[in-house]
Amino acid sequence: MFCDEVLETVELIASGELTLSPRITNHLASCRGCAAALESARRVDALLRSRAAPPAPAQFSSRVMSRLRRARWRSEQWLDWGFNVALALAGALVVTGLWMIMRQSGLATVSSDAIDLLGPGMMLFVRRISPSLPLYAAATALLGSALGVWWWAERDTTQAPRRMVARDHQ
Amino acid sequence: MEPVNERELVERCRRGDEGAFQELVDGYKNLVFALIARTVLDRTRAEDLAQDVFLRIHRGLPYFRGEARLSTWIYRIVANVCVQERGQNASAAGVVSLDDERAAVRPPAVADRQFSDLELRDRLEKAIARLPAQQRLLVAAHYLQGVRYEDLAEALRMPLGTVKTQLFRAKQQLRRLLDS
Repeated sequence: MFCDEVLETVELIASGELTLSPRITNHLASCRGCAAALESARRVDALLRSRAAPPAPAQFSSRVMSRLRRARWRSEQWLDWGFNVALALAGALVVTGLWMIMRQSGLATVSSDAIDLLGPGMMLFVRRISPSLPLYAAATALLGSALGVWWWAERDTTQAPRRMVARDHQ
Repeated sequence: MEPVNERELVERCRRGDEGAFQELVDGYKNLVFALIARTVLDRTRAEDLAQDVFLRIHRGLPYFRGEARLSTWIYRIVANVCVQERGQNASAAGVVSLDDERAAVRPPAVADRQFSDLELRDRLEKAIARLPAQQRLLVAAHYLQGVRYEDLAEALRMPLGTVKTQLFRAKQQLRRLLDS
């Protein structure tokens, strides 16, 4: 019966939190099981005390700081995105507001009347410049091809590094 | 770290002083890493988790009211990170066997003390891996220099008596596992 009591206290004895009473000392001298348990508890305690406390690896602080900067950069990206969305919404709100003001104040009717008035004049303008349209179209096509060739040449030199950066982050 | 310096450092960190946060990392990195490395056996994973702890600290600093000591708050974050990690790897940790390595590498007939010490340490680490997450952390923290029962109790939001009982049970369990 006394063995159970001793076995419940061997950890405390081993760690020095409980001092050996004469009764326990006598029991340990005569009971091999309890003495072995105390020996084992002392061994565990010594092993735990001598367990290595590995220091943080070199460059640990700088790695933490760079992760922190990356996290901050990401959150700033979200902030930028939110700002742009808010700006677009504000723009849409202003346009809608202006349109509603124009409708309610009758300005919209005035502007449609103005379009009706200027319409024939615009048609006359188009008719007058129409003979030169092929020339303008040819010039635009030439400029467009030149821009296309420039974009194609630029694309080849800039896309390779971008791919490598993307792979680094995967 | 002295409480006054600690408060000053926290204030500087809150104002966005990057140098102050680096000071905080330098001051606590060894303690945090040692605690985690003793709880998570994989060294690379331990470093990732230790870094996570500092990122959480940085995120949480604006909300740190200074009612507890900074170290206590840090232990609490370490405990949360370790318990979460344990939860994710619960199935893997559950199959650790103390006898696997012992059966594979038997000591020579003439007892080599150094070898048997290493073997014992290896078995101890495996036995610790079998403990519940909270007991593992308690065992890891209690035997680190400077960590007090009171801080652990506050960090884990447990009564002091419960911390002592849990630690006692953990050691009892370790002894039984090593003796079996």
